[in-house]
Amino acid sequence: MTRKILIFAADMAYRALDQAGLLHVHYSPNTVIIRIPCASMLRPDLILHAFQSGFDAVFVASSGPDCPFMGQECVGKTAKRIEKAYELLDEHGIDRNRLVVAGVCSTCVETILGTVERLEEVVGE
Amino acid sequence: MTERTKIGVYVCHCGGNISDYVDVEKVVDSVKDLPNVAVARHFVFMCSEAGQQLIKDDIKNLGLDGVVVASCSPHLHEKTFRDAAKAAGLNPYLLEHVCIREHSSWVHSDNREGATRKATWIVKTAIAKISLARELQPIRLDVEREAIVIGGGIAGLRCAIDLARAGSTVHLIESSPFLGGRVPQIYKLYPSGKSGCEIVEELIDEIKRYPNIKIYTNAEILSAGGAIGDFKVTVKVNPRYVGKVSDDVIAKCPVEVPDEFNYGLTKRKAIYKREHSYPDIPVIDMDACTKCGECNPDFDQQPQTIELKGSLIVLATGFKPYEPEEGEFGYKVHDGVITLPVFERLLALSDGKLEYNGKEVRDIAFIYCVGSRNEEHEYCSRYCCVATLNASLGALEKFDGLRAYHIYRDIRAYGKYETYYEEAGKKKMLFIKYDPEEPPVVEKSGNKLIVRVKDLLTAGEELEVPVDLVVLSVGMLPEMSEVFTMLRVPFSRDGFLQEVHPKLRPVETAIGGVLLAGACQGPKDTVEATASASAAVAKADTYLVKGYAELEPFIAEIDPEKCDGCEECVGECPTSAISIKDGKAVVNEALCKGCGACGGVCPTKAINLRGYYYDQLEKMIDSVGGD
Amino acid sequence: MPEGYDALVVGGGIAGMEASLTLGDAGFDVLLVEKEPSIGGHMIQLSKVFPTTDCAGCITTPKMAATGKHPKIKLLTYSEVEGIEKTGKKFRVRILKKPRYVDENACIGCGRCEQACPVLIPKEWEYGLIGRKAAYIPFEMATPKKALIDLDNCIMCGRCERACPKEAINFLQEPEEIEVEVKAVIIATGYNLFSPEKKKEYGYTGNLTVIHTSANPNIIHGMQMERLLAPSRPYHALVRPGDGKVPERVAWVLCTGSRDKSVGNPLCSRVCCMYSIKQALLYSSAVPFGEAAIYYMDIRAFGKGFEEFYNMVRELGVEFIKGKVAKIESRNGNPVIIAENTETGEIMEEEYDMVVLAIGLLSNPEAVKALGVELDQYGFVAQPQENSNPAVTDKEGIFVAGTATCPKDIPDTVAEASAAAAQCIAYLEEVGS
Repeated sequence: MTRKILIFAADMAYRALDQAGLLHVHYSPNTVIIRIPCASMLRPDLILHAFQSGFDAVFVASSGPDCPFMGQECVGKTAKRIEKAYELLDEHGIDRNRLVVAGVCSTCVETILGTVERLEEVVGE
Repeated sequence: MTERTKIGVYVCHCGGNISDYVDVEKVVDSVKDLPNVAVARHFVFMCSEAGQQLIKDDIKNLGLDGVVVASCSPHLHEKTFRDAAKAAGLNPYLLEHVCIREHSSWVHSDNREGATRKATWIVKTAIAKISLARELQPIRLDVEREAIVIGGGIAGLRCAIDLARAGSTVHLIESSPFLGGRVPQIYKLYPSGKSGCEIVEELIDEIKRYPNIKIYTNAEILSAGGAIGDFKVTVKVNPRYVGKVSDDVIAKCPVEVPDEFNYGLTKRKAIYKREHSYPDIPVIDMDACTKCGECNPDFDQQPQTIELKGSLIVLATGFKPYEPEEGEFGYKVHDGVITLPVFERLLALSDGKLEYNGKEVRDIAFIYCVGSRNEEHEYCSRYCCVATLNASLGALEKFDGLRAYHIYRDIRAYGKYETYYEEAGKKKMLFIKYDPEEPPVVEKSGNKLIVRVKDLLTAGEELEVPVDLVVLSVGMLPEMSEVFTMLRVPFSRDGFLQEVHPKLRPVETAIGGVLLAGACQGPKDTVEATASASAAVAKADTYLVKGYAELEPFIAEIDPEKCDGCEECVGECPTSAISIKDGKAVVNEALCKGCGACGGVCPTKAINLRGYYYDQLEKMIDSVGGD
Repeated sequence: MPEGYDALVVGGGIAGMEASLTLGDAGFDVLLVEKEPSIGGHMIQLSKVFPTTDCAGCITTPKMAATGKHPKIKLLTYSEVEGIEKTGKKFRVRILKKPRYVDENACIGCGRCEQACPVLIPKEWEYGLIGRKAAYIPFEMATPKKALIDLDNCIMCGRCERACPKEAINFLQEPEEIEVEVKAVIIATGYNLFSPEKKKEYGYTGNLTVIHTSANPNIIHGMQMERLLAPSRPYHALVRPGDGKVPERVAWVLCTGSRDKSVGNPLCSRVCCMYSIKQALLYSSAVPFGEAAIYYMDIRAFGKGFEEFYNMVRELGVEFIKGKVAKIESRNGNPVIIAENTETGEIMEEEYDMVVLAIGLLSNPEAVKALGVELDQYGFVAQPQENSNPAVTDKEGIFVAGTATCPKDIPDTVAEASAAAAQCIAYLEEVGS
């Protein structure tokens, strides 16, 4: 079975993924993108659900401080969700390194490439 | 809820942009037998008339209850396809547009198998999402004919006039005490040859004709927020400390300080006004004023705080010229090294002969691309080549016996402006092309400045050009404003404000109802700035003249059965859209912007975000998780 | 009484479509007149567009569809404005609808007439790279997607008539005079391409099939290269026209017919630097081991994101040679560029598999003649208030957008089209109904 990384892409991060396409850069195709407006909507149990459903890693690509809904506030709110998600992962014996959150602005293509590469290493080939 | 079972799936080739790297037939084959799918097809251009017709026909003939289109980014054509679904009688929110071009074919062009697999995954998640999609209705919002324009330079003036002419009330906010911005400082504008003052005076004459333009000068923005149809901007209008007085009264002021309009080339009084501008009321510069009372001042004037509302906001905040570092091409180290904007003022103010700091100028070197096309500012500032050529031609026309040297990288005299380049050649000005790796060096030698430069046009010959004045052709930087952060407008990589798409939506930002005009979006000359200002008005008119806007229905929804009134969500909402009534949370639909933060903390899972219901997200995950 | 509209838009390229859509979205009734059988203009022919490398079709096709079915926009294709006269606050406009020899209402665009037609001539839309029939649909994404018959090349065999399932073919169709009344006009008539044949020393003849010393089919022009690089390209592969070989060394000659008084055009065409850089990028990804060289005078990468794009392409290894090309000769079917490298003073002689002449954009005065607006010395529509209001012409109520005033790129064209629409809306609101 192919290793799979789930990317929850908030508004700005989704634009950055578009930007990556326009620039024709490459990253791992073992990625599935689910579009959400803002990372603050992610319930920690949904993140756990992704692992239980068969994903090997989850990348929460938030809009960071560029969030069109709440700006800087987004960082703190998202962090709270992720903190809870980490606790859930611990409870279920899932390696914390398989969950990464990053603020991705609309042109932050490098952040996407770097994070996906890191997660690829964590989950192995 | 019951699942949708007649979903149509449409995979686009995008002419080859997708199908060259993604096996579209295989994608179709992998999903066509899924339980919720009624039909799956691929087509060369789904967005074309024929492609849209295909979807419409299937909706009608097969009675589809959901549609998935897999093609380019939904930022490009989600609306196109939703409109098509609507035209065929399907609720537009039962159509999901997913991206397999930017997110698959273009980033995995090195891996056809991987790209195809990923495209299939993305399509599967979309089918899962639509299988649980609810019918949604857009939120229709009445839009009053009232708009806020921030910035009173040439772009802001153009905007205000065009909005007012089409019948809207305009609030025009300018931070400095006078309208006009930077254009009046220009000696002669290309291509008309008129002075910057003249052009701005013409626009201000027009502004005065429209009582529906409300002008706030000397105004600071304290807060700005809201959404399309309902923006609020609070401004603090600072006092001028004086009413309308005659020029004789102004002349009585004993204080003299450098005049910033002329970059300190001349002096002004502590009380001053601008002849070309508006309002025709002077202002007292309190940092300089000695409170002698000669000008009949009113020091008791207080700042006024005014709350403005508008259905839309146009940002016309403009640019600022790049300020070179000390020592950059001798700037601020050697006397006689100035920037292009200062040279413009020098030209306008000098008569008879050209002098700088009391010394007559005979030879001028113009150094191009200062603060542009380098590591710090990678972009080209667009206007400076022609502006510099134009200024040099203006100088030669006004003063006899000048010699000019243009030390450049590429002369970007685009379009009709090529004639300025040609004219400069005819006037025997010399052109020297420098290598950015070995930029020119400016030194002082006795009475003269020496520019040392290797000329690429003569195989790298080392030249020494003795001149009296070095003019640095400085680039444009965005003029920053607090309001950008208040409204959360995103920036491009070059630091200017970012448009949604340069060709499809060039004046819109990611923030609905916030539009861009002029150089805040990128370097522009006056022709381009005023065109973009009118373009912003055209976009605004599509709401203001029509009288309403339709907004996406993606807002929070609360299940009162599950809600126990714990108030977790109330504190989480960034726009205070949730309150508790009768022990249950209630969403104010006008305030909710649809982030979903409330859903993220609800302990009883009572909150959903429309369009992104949690059961949809779970099913999306499951549709691929087991693959 | 003639039919009435709020605004007439002349020209259905990107500028005309954008202006029409803006006016229509704001609730005004628009008549869009296009002289070709389909709207779309030059933009729909392009491959990808700089600096985002979006495919041109991906942007244009939905605009065409939106224009074609907008409830507020009436489309008249294959039609030309013949005259315009202002009476009071309104313009009375005479339009000539040219005969398609196909009943537009009946035609379903099935293409059977095209299959049946035995005549084969070069297809204008592909700049002669491939052929078309005398009965034809202009191109795949044409809007409206309706056939027409090119009577000049038709042999009157009647096969199309027999093949048509809708009995839409009508050889007796006459030109139709239509008169309408409008309150305002937007000119979006676009540009003409420079004919590279005029630059004799570059050896372009337009003959794409025969190789002999004076006519080298491997010297093509920029628009032909656009077609070769488009996703819907003629041969479904990037090959040179002369012999179908994949070109391994390609050179671009900038300023062909621009900044050149010897051919009567002293102006810069504004887009050729960038389109050539973009073509070099697209070529490099289509032929990864290919070599690309660009001969230039100045690289004018002045728009938003352009310099960054130029730097990216330069870093990818495309060679930039500052030098004016004096002559292009032929050797064994390969074009040979003779140029002076301005930076070294050397005379260079380089053989390539294919040379692309980056032809420029000229004015299109014929298309605006009937509208009676003032033109400048180059034949572009004059802008008497260009610094403060570039969309107005010398005639009240007539506005202008896009390359009708000067060569320009798509972002600038789109901005101007909206600007013209804004001026038009302000004017319409002021003159009232």
